[in-house]
Amino acid sequence: MSAITSRPRLARLFDDRRMMVLTLLAPVMLFFIVFNTIPTLWLLGLSFYNFSLTSGMPPEFIGVRNFVQIFHSRNGIWLDLSRTFTFVVCGVGIQTVLGAALGFLFWGSRDMPGRRIALTMLFAPMVLTPVATGTFFRFIYDPTFGVLNAMSHGLFGTGPIDFLGNPSLAFWAVLAVDCWMWTPFMTLMTLAALGSVPKAELEAAEIDRVPFVRRLSLVIWHHGKFILMLGILLRTIDSFKTLDLIIPMTKGGPGQQTRLVAMEVNKQAFESFNMGWSSAYSVLLLLISIAMTSVFIYVLNLRRRREG
Amino acid sequence: MTVFKSPGSGSKFVLPRRSLLKGGAALGMSTALGAPFINRLFAAEEHPLAGQSIEMNILGIAGWVPSSLGVKMSPLFADYVKEKYGYTVSFAFAEAPFSDLFQKAATSLATKSQEYNIIISDSQWLGALAKPGWILKLNDVIAKNPALQLDWYSQTVVDTYMTYPDGTKDIWGLPQEGDVEALYVRKDWLDDPKEKEAFQAKYGKPLPQTFEDFDALTMDEFEKIAEFFTRPDEQRWGFAQQYSRVYDFATCAFNNYLWSRGGEIWDPATGQIEGILNTQQNADSLQAFKDWLKYCPPGATNFGIAEGIDVFTQGKVFSTIQWAAVGSAMITDELKGKVLVVPPPKHGTGDAAKRICSMGGQPWVINAFNDEKKMRVAIDFMNWWYQPDTAVEFAKRGGNPCDKATLSRDDFNSINPWNQTYKFMLEEGRSRDFWHDPKYSEMLAIQQEGYSSFVTGQSSDPKAVLDYIACAQQQILNDEGVAKTAPSDACAATSL
Repeated sequence: MSAITSRPRLARLFDDRRMMVLTLLAPVMLFFIVFNTIPTLWLLGLSFYNFSLTSGMPPEFIGVRNFVQIFHSRNGIWLDLSRTFTFVVCGVGIQTVLGAALGFLFWGSRDMPGRRIALTMLFAPMVLTPVATGTFFRFIYDPTFGVLNAMSHGLFGTGPIDFLGNPSLAFWAVLAVDCWMWTPFMTLMTLAALGSVPKAELEAAEIDRVPFVRRLSLVIWHHGKFILMLGILLRTIDSFKTLDLIIPMTKGGPGQQTRLVAMEVNKQAFESFNMGWSSAYSVLLLLISIAMTSVFIYVLNLRRRREG
Repeated sequence: MTVFKSPGSGSKFVLPRRSLLKGGAALGMSTALGAPFINRLFAAEEHPLAGQSIEMNILGIAGWVPSSLGVKMSPLFADYVKEKYGYTVSFAFAEAPFSDLFQKAATSLATKSQEYNIIISDSQWLGALAKPGWILKLNDVIAKNPALQLDWYSQTVVDTYMTYPDGTKDIWGLPQEGDVEALYVRKDWLDDPKEKEAFQAKYGKPLPQTFEDFDALTMDEFEKIAEFFTRPDEQRWGFAQQYSRVYDFATCAFNNYLWSRGGEIWDPATGQIEGILNTQQNADSLQAFKDWLKYCPPGATNFGIAEGIDVFTQGKVFSTIQWAAVGSAMITDELKGKVLVVPPPKHGTGDAAKRICSMGGQPWVINAFNDEKKMRVAIDFMNWWYQPDTAVEFAKRGGNPCDKATLSRDDFNSINPWNQTYKFMLEEGRSRDFWHDPKYSEMLAIQQEGYSSFVTGQSSDPKAVLDYIACAQQQILNDEGVAKTAPSDACAATSL
């Protein structure tokens, strides 16, 4: 009795499991509320106002006019969205295929000498900042001084190719850099997914001489799909927000050829300081992100629901 | 010997001449040595900051030599105020590239911060900084400080760096760095006898050699020179100018064509853009602007200031239109004596040919949220900056002052290789700035997209591009209340 009463009050809180959970969660929740929930609500509120920082005027409530303006915008917003979806689908698609292929390659060569060094080198692009990557690729692509043009001229005798100035090439040149940067992430996720497959099941499939494709679908995919899909989901969300890679490379040009949705938000919010309009646009993008995430989770749980 | 007679005493007080001289010398020396301290004591009594130590922050443009000179020269100011006012001051420098500097300044000023006490603003930002009350209105400051009541070299200086709204007497900035467009050409290429001979043989005319030769040159004549030096096989091209989508690079370069060919970008009195910018004449100018790409190195559609400097200093191009402010970066040690800086060619033919180029340069603006001490130092700094000695020192270090006294000095043209052209282009009617409206950033972004879209071939019709830009800008100014008329119904069909 005396031992219990002599314990500090905080320690006694943990006797109640619910209280313990709440106490441990409280700092995270507080952080989440301060840095996520409140700004999101603020963003939502601001989206109903006409508020420009440089106008010198107080915010004016205008209802849904910002949203109406976005839907009727002449400024190529729908083109931006379609370009962004192309960027996401192509980028994440290529990264997933290449990343999975590299993942299988490294998974099947565990005894290869120098594997660790090769893996470290492979993951290097992923840890670089996008701004630095964009800047040095701008120089690599440069038609006058760039190493890529020098190599293509030396090897194939081609004339200078203006990768970032040509409207037909710029989008794909930027996408290639995004793939160079993020394919290692999908390799990492593939290795993690493959690592989650029970060895016993793989060995059993091997003893039963199950063909590789069937082994892939019945054993490997069955166990590894969640991690792989999580990787795809994270890449999709991240790719949807791409901004810092494009700014140093093309600033959205030539014309609007590499202008993605995040660039328009950045321009309106932090160059033109149209806080109301950019908040409304951000809310729409948030809804699109939530919708995409929901679709992913739904697909992921589809079989489980059917089985259930 | 000198004899003093004491009044009323009748007695004589005799002082040897040598002693008198010694005494006089000692008094003189002590006065000379003691004067600064006495002055400082007076200053300490008079100046409210005497004896205090103040830290100041300047926000300027990254990688822009004239911008950094403000801070590099600040030790001179520190010595000056220590001597004159008896307080100590030190400066720190924050910086961002052109395209991000406004963002950095505005986000700080919007929170009423005095993080940056003095800001080197770009001229077009005056409205965006002044309208929300972020910077100090300088009319009263100038009225109280005779050292700031300067005779500027031309009205263009006042219109570009100082006033907002355009045409009013409201002053928000003071010129930090004056800047104009100039044509940098490789003098050593022009001097080459083989080149001279080949050009004469091909075109039946000599290559221009002097400032005066280039001053008389039209674009049609200059095109022959650009064509002559365009030799992709030798990795050499005749010309470079800015086509980049970043910040105002393409806009400033294209406005040289638009204005020089008689076009306008808007009516500042009514805010009208549609029907003024999107004329067939301006569309032809845009086409002419694009046509010069054939004399530029590959990738020129992404050329901004830095890329222009690179291709010129690495000997890839014969000539480039570039800002006078980057003269020290353009004329490297290797290129000293090999570069001629001249006015850009005129557009048109005969007597009707004219040149009106974009103004560059930046004003100083003062943070309105500075506390009393920092405000005082900022004003002292401005008073010092425009002193004749400071202005000359600024010019000698590569800067471009704007006051008439400095620019009228006999030795001004010889201080830097670009000074003659700088002074020439700063004269009334040869250079002009574009809008100072608070919405400039939005208007500029649309314009940059449009011009970039056209020069890169994403859009093929220059008139349609100008229609798109004019309609979008008209909408912005109409929403803002500056333009009286809304975009016409025809605007609904415009796109890039």
